[in-house]
Amino acid sequence: MALSMMESNNRLIYNDAGQGPVQHQFSPYTDNGGSIVAIGGPGFAIIASDTRLTSGFAIYTREQGKLHSLTNAAVLGASGCWCDVLSLTRLIQARMKLYKHEHQKDMSAAALAQMLSTMLYGRRFFPYYVSNVIAGLDEEGNGVVYSYDPVGHCDKNMYHAGGSSGALLQPLLDSQIGLKNMAIKPTAPLTVEKALQITKDVFTSAAERDIKCGDGVIIRIITKDGIREETFKLRFD
Amino acid sequence: MAGTSERYSFSLTTFSPSGKLVQIEYALAAVASGAPTVGIKATNGVVLATEKKHKSMLYDGTSVWKIETINEYIGMCYSGMGPDYRLLVKSARKAAQAYKMAYGERIPTVQLVQRVAAVMQEYTQSGGVRPFGVSLLICGWDDGKPYLVQCDPSGAYFPWKATAMGKNFISGKTFLEKRYKNDIELEDAIHTAILALKESFEGQMTAENIEIGIVTKDGGFRRLSTGEVKDYLDNL
Amino acid sequence: MSILAYNGGAVVGMKGNGCVAIASDKRFGIQLQTIGLDFDKIFEVGPKIYMGIPGLATDTQTVNQRMKFRTNLYELKENRPVSPKVLSAMISNLLYEHRFGPYFVEPIVVGLDGNNEPYISTFDSIGCVSEPEDFVAAGTCDDQLFGMCEALWKPNMNPDELFEAVSQALVNACDRDAISGWGAKVYVIEKDKVTIRNLRTRMD
Repeated sequence: MALSMMESNNRLIYNDAGQGPVQHQFSPYTDNGGSIVAIGGPGFAIIASDTRLTSGFAIYTREQGKLHSLTNAAVLGASGCWCDVLSLTRLIQARMKLYKHEHQKDMSAAALAQMLSTMLYGRRFFPYYVSNVIAGLDEEGNGVVYSYDPVGHCDKNMYHAGGSSGALLQPLLDSQIGLKNMAIKPTAPLTVEKALQITKDVFTSAAERDIKCGDGVIIRIITKDGIREETFKLRFD
Repeated sequence: MAGTSERYSFSLTTFSPSGKLVQIEYALAAVASGAPTVGIKATNGVVLATEKKHKSMLYDGTSVWKIETINEYIGMCYSGMGPDYRLLVKSARKAAQAYKMAYGERIPTVQLVQRVAAVMQEYTQSGGVRPFGVSLLICGWDDGKPYLVQCDPSGAYFPWKATAMGKNFISGKTFLEKRYKNDIELEDAIHTAILALKESFEGQMTAENIEIGIVTKDGGFRRLSTGEVKDYLDNL
Repeated sequence: MSILAYNGGAVVGMKGNGCVAIASDKRFGIQLQTIGLDFDKIFEVGPKIYMGIPGLATDTQTVNQRMKFRTNLYELKENRPVSPKVLSAMISNLLYEHRFGPYFVEPIVVGLDGNNEPYISTFDSIGCVSEPEDFVAAGTCDDQLFGMCEALWKPNMNPDELFEAVSQALVNACDRDAISGWGAKVYVIEKDKVTIRNLRTRMD
């Protein structure tokens, strides 16, 4: 509070006198939104994020993807507090370089997954406010998905939805990919085309209801031939 | 206090030994000496008509009305005491709006009548008050049907096809009984209503000394302008 | 933790072609401990009108009883059944009467009106009404329900399609909520019949 003075009866009076201590607070976290969907299948993995960056009701930009290609076989999707995302990804890049110099090879998806868990837990008492999902290929070249909580709990899945629309999208993936609660389950294995279609559908749904999700989607498709990127438009309001 | 009979303050409307409430009978007498009002229900609407005699040639009757709108589809008229009527109009309008707030739709005519009748009944059983010196004619249109209801000072109400109230109401009703048909249309009913008033009308009937209100499915309730009333009088 | 999520539970409603559906889970719990598996959150108001009241269980029952009181009086006074629209206005009024000490519920209404037209509406805990043209969802897994409904709902579903959509939406949404589930009840309302089905769900 500013210390202001006024004159009364020829005496100076301090306006904030006797009002007790003044407290200041710094809030280190902000939620910049962002949603990630990752699906693994036989011979492929896909991971997608929306491109909207927000703060409260404000839209910072409509074209900020949240995917970070780490190696030829692994892509990280990270959303939440965007400054933490930037710090965390830079740190990951550095740790990957150290690993490469030491081991003379790229990190495997499994190694990356383990490293990220350790890094997040390292900040157990001042965590990165980030929702992480890694999509990649395992040793056999099949898709895997690793999902995290902010303090390093890691879960290996075939599909995951994270970020601001996570709650809206996860049950949809359970139904469409996990084939949960189905009386007659289709037997055909998941194809890239089907996974892409579902990804686009679920993002369209999320954009209808989650104000933090919208504008566009960036999708990366990881196969043994490398990483291919696709984009897809969402509602722009 | 003096005598035993004055020791308690009873309501003025205490039963007489013969089982009557004489105050209500007096209220009805006030109505019967009031200006005539007729109402006729037609197949496609309802008409209310009333006499509005000016007491003096100096009187300016262009800004006071006996026929009032309660909501879009309900109108009201009276025979008896004007000030009492205006209090009932006020509470009827409030009841209509309160209903709309509570249920999100227009109050059915019968519901409005019941609410107004409840107010009138209350004034026959409360301390420190007197019954209303009016009978009301309430008309409305809902769910594809016309409604015409008379409401008396006692709180009793009567649905009519056609009726007359106020001065000479017996001859008015006799006239309507002769003229009424179940398939009467509104235009015809308006003419019949004017003729019923004319039966006992003293002096020249003009567009200034009668009032007419109609309710229809499409137009809702409205009071006819003096121009429209004049056209009806000219075409009699 | 929000008092709205003290007992857990969710309700969803959907419009179809000449039909409406409403479904809820059957769990009754106290925070994370499950107490009962047959707790009704959906109540019949008329032959073709149902109301679902997720939220604090005691308020679910109180609001239902107070609405029963009011609709009974209405039907006696007016000698006609309540329509879904009138029911919505009445619920809104009841809730707003407690504007500064609310019932911790977020009710929804589904039904067919006098012309057998589908009607759905949803309320916040102080009576703000919304009448969407597709679906309504409320309860502890409303986010999950909205995600499911947004993908599964399409216009002009027949009663069978509607049942499938509303069931899948509810069950998959509840499976991702720790305090909803443990069985489900689905009502499909058509102009000449109401079909009530109890669903088996995962019990964890």
